[in-house]
Amino acid sequence: MSIDHLLKKKKLSFDLYEIDVFSANDSELQELSSTLGLALALDEMKRIKEYFQKKKRLPTDVELQALGQAWSEHCCYKSSKIPLKQYIFGVAEKKIAAREDAGVIEFDKDYYYCVKLESHNHPSAIEPYGGAATGIGGVVRDVVCMGSQPIAFVDPLFFGPLDYPVDKLPKGVKHPRYLFKGVVDGIRDYGNRIGIPTISGQVYFHPGYLGNCLVNVGCIGILKKNELVHSAAKAPGNVYVYVGGKTGRDGIHGVTFASAELTDESEESSRSAVQVGDPITKEPVIHATLEINRKGLLEGLKDFGGGGLSCVCGELAYAAGFGAEIHLDNVPLKEEGLKPWEVWVSESQERMMLMVDPKNVPQVLHICKQWDVFAAPIGSVIKDEVVRVFYKGERILEMDLEFLTGGPVYDTCIRPYVLPKPEHVEKNEKSFSMPKLGESLQKILSSANIASKEWVIRQYDHEVRGNTVIKPLQGKMNNESHGDAAVIKPLENSWKGLAVTADVNPRFMAINPYWGSCAAMDEMCRNLVAVGARPDSLLDCLNFGNPEKPERMGEIYETCRGLGEMARALDLPFASGNVSLYNESFVSSVPPTPELMGIGIVQDIRNCVTTDFKKEGNMVYLIGNETKKELGGSEYYHLMNVDGGLVPRSDVSLLKTCIDGVLSAIDKKYIAACHDVSEGGIAVCLSEMAIGGNLGANIDITEVGADLRTDFKLFSESNTRWVAEVKSEKQMDFEKLLIKKHAPFICIGKTKGLSLIITDNKKTVIDMTIPSLRDCWAHTIWNTMG
Amino acid sequence: MKTKDINVAILRIEGTNCEQESYDAFKRLGANPEFVHLKQLLHIDCDKNEIRDLSQYQCLMVPGGFSAGDYIRAGAIFAARIKSKLQTPLKNFVEQEYPVLGICNGFQVLTELGLLPGIDTIISPIPDACLNINDSNRYECRPTLLKHENKGKCVFTKNLKKNEIRLIPSAHAEGKLMFPLEKQNEYLKKLENNDQIVFRYVDPDGNYAGYPWNPNGSMSNIAGICNHIGNVFGMMPHPERSFYRYQHPDWTQTGLSPSEGDGQAIFTSVVDYISKRF
Repeated sequence: MSIDHLLKKKKLSFDLYEIDVFSANDSELQELSSTLGLALALDEMKRIKEYFQKKKRLPTDVELQALGQAWSEHCCYKSSKIPLKQYIFGVAEKKIAAREDAGVIEFDKDYYYCVKLESHNHPSAIEPYGGAATGIGGVVRDVVCMGSQPIAFVDPLFFGPLDYPVDKLPKGVKHPRYLFKGVVDGIRDYGNRIGIPTISGQVYFHPGYLGNCLVNVGCIGILKKNELVHSAAKAPGNVYVYVGGKTGRDGIHGVTFASAELTDESEESSRSAVQVGDPITKEPVIHATLEINRKGLLEGLKDFGGGGLSCVCGELAYAAGFGAEIHLDNVPLKEEGLKPWEVWVSESQERMMLMVDPKNVPQVLHICKQWDVFAAPIGSVIKDEVVRVFYKGERILEMDLEFLTGGPVYDTCIRPYVLPKPEHVEKNEKSFSMPKLGESLQKILSSANIASKEWVIRQYDHEVRGNTVIKPLQGKMNNESHGDAAVIKPLENSWKGLAVTADVNPRFMAINPYWGSCAAMDEMCRNLVAVGARPDSLLDCLNFGNPEKPERMGEIYETCRGLGEMARALDLPFASGNVSLYNESFVSSVPPTPELMGIGIVQDIRNCVTTDFKKEGNMVYLIGNETKKELGGSEYYHLMNVDGGLVPRSDVSLLKTCIDGVLSAIDKKYIAACHDVSEGGIAVCLSEMAIGGNLGANIDITEVGADLRTDFKLFSESNTRWVAEVKSEKQMDFEKLLIKKHAPFICIGKTKGLSLIITDNKKTVIDMTIPSLRDCWAHTIWNTMG
Repeated sequence: MKTKDINVAILRIEGTNCEQESYDAFKRLGANPEFVHLKQLLHIDCDKNEIRDLSQYQCLMVPGGFSAGDYIRAGAIFAARIKSKLQTPLKNFVEQEYPVLGICNGFQVLTELGLLPGIDTIISPIPDACLNINDSNRYECRPTLLKHENKGKCVFTKNLKKNEIRLIPSAHAEGKLMFPLEKQNEYLKKLENNDQIVFRYVDPDGNYAGYPWNPNGSMSNIAGICNHIGNVFGMMPHPERSFYRYQHPDWTQTGLSPSEGDGQAIFTSVVDYISKRF
């Protein structure tokens, strides 16, 4: 079907079309939406038709493109609004000082910290290097546009199995090794170049990510309370000052592209949706913007994100109840011949929009010039709630902001959902005889999800700015093991620290989204507590498949229920969040992946604890929950090819009690090393502690999970557990304190020698030297990635 | 002169990264550091009150980062911009024995500028050395141990004992010091004879060891060198990242006493030098 007859070119010196939506029937409206790349549904197209019928004129192509951007799934959370409202919104909101492009929370009496976590999944699946780099570029702008200095990045990544057979790879799917390398290269080259340390993250491999890798990116910033700036104009007359990179054809329809499934043709059709990152334009933009803010020259600030100029101009005015008049002629272009609608919706990178009082414009332009950063006034705020755009003297767009930016309200349009029934899967747990446990531990240590991530971590500069006081790799030099969380000391004159971690267990999630989400919250808290930080806030990046499928929608509901209940019980606010849907291709859908980024506060960084064993003769304790037969989704069952089994449950009141117990023991300096027990159970936990400290231990697990079979004791992933090395001279004090705090514990052994020896009922079940443990654990990813 | 009167120019352009922690290092010692954009020294796009001259400073520091992106050989663009207009003032600055420090990217810049190795000239017209891509062919951020081998020429390590081992972390993709192949041995001998070798990478026992103790494959394990006068100094590892003990990667193993970190001595040495010499 041709819709050419509906496109009416206007007689002008540039390309501008009127679109005859009035005479278009329903199928032609749908055809228009897809041909113009709007990704709008029929109902939405009809609503647009009605609007312009009332205005008694046809819409321009610029107007339709602007609506496509503003109304897309990505911008207004069509599908996820109801479950989010039901479970997530409103938890501990009092703690949040501001929540716009990023969340802002009090750090101390003079400072806020600012956090953001978002996804850059689809672009990274098409073009991993550029997709990941611009993901970093986007998230750092969100943090800068609240007026804060970025101080750290966090990068959780999810890929298909690295050893996936190349000849079985479906057409149009890129090999996980290629994607993994490209993404890490992109983060490294962008993050390192702009001089912000990448201090935490997660790397996970699972077949569900084969067709859709996930690249989540988080950023933390710090700002003085009086430097907080909002994403809103202050008054009519405020000048829109465009700052930063030029506008080009890259990143057109990025938003609408993120709101559809990937196909084997996405490579060809969507390449233009991936932006091009330029860290060396970005770095001075950050400097200039923050300097302008510090000098008090800003009325408002917003970064160019999804939807480009269209969204940024509209939202700055809409948030303040005003309107905008914009002249596209002043927008700097990367190349000649861009059509006005392309300029209006392009998502070219490295751009910020400053709201400036007219009297301050010269000074703002001067500061930008010193940094060789392009800056130009392109319009101003007006009193009427209307956005008008002009190009070469022609008005090319005029819409009410309420209609354009307010967007349709979807609360009445409920997507159908079917709740998952994990009980069936969990009950279906086949029994098997116990394998040789030493061999099982070796295999688990060398599996890609457990093995050392040094290959990734060392390629990121995790120390630039000099504030990373607890590093992501911990232990003796060149023997380091994984830490639970990294800690930043953001202020020169304060010992206070910010701890950061990122977690989710996709195998738990695939079986049981509700308990999987609770487990993610539990693990996030454990990781923060293990370094000595009290959990303070969290961010959620909800990565799911196609929400039009009721099963996926059901997963979203159950995930939100789990996260919301846990957060409410723990009184942890969601500082910021992001929803990424349609992470589904013709190959597979991702397992539900609510990536959590946890922020903890350390009162004095000098009390922080790392995971590596410190001193021979210290006592080793298992603190917290009873070890249960909860191996559904565990590394051990994966190794043994067991599908069913109970996903670990979480008891939030026990978690709270244990958080208090462990933190007070760390504050009193009783604990020399602490590691949370998660993937691979206590066997992997102890191995990592021994590897990092280059110090072994004699461990007796007879009392652990009393009646359990030895393999389940070793590898169960029950929640709310930590292994702690307690200073020998503090043993009695430690036990008294934990009893007082009602936190359960078992003494399981002593640090000793250069081997990890584990016995159960007087039988030695593991006896491995540290070099042999390290040998299993250290090389998997290096050997695969080179 | 008094410490508080020591003006330190922390030179930056787009892509300079480590300026804040470098600034902090001097500030903590009571000196007077200042961020100076190269354009301020070149008098481009500046208001009157923003114009600066090298002669206003007693120390020049080029910090780490990726100046101008380092999309060609690291440090080359920054060096070319300095050289085009500032060669004479810079030469005078060095001749007057004011100290110049280059860390990481700064070392690369000083090498591209021809200030280092500076065996018998102040500033050579073409670079005499380069910082090549690491043997591992990748960017690596890892702790490194440096043995101080200078016998007393370098003004940045006067407060360090000879053969002392210091933990100063590295983070770079291009840190492998190389000379023109045909002159390699000759240059190395001259550097040793002139007491221009300042730091070498070692393992915890003080032995020269391969990767990862030497993170980049640098010739003769060299981590830092100074010019023949001893006042221009470049090193790949970052002393500003181990200014305090709590910045050390293994402080939870070794404890927090003393509170000074292993890199602090670089900054105290040069501040002491300036206050005595000028």
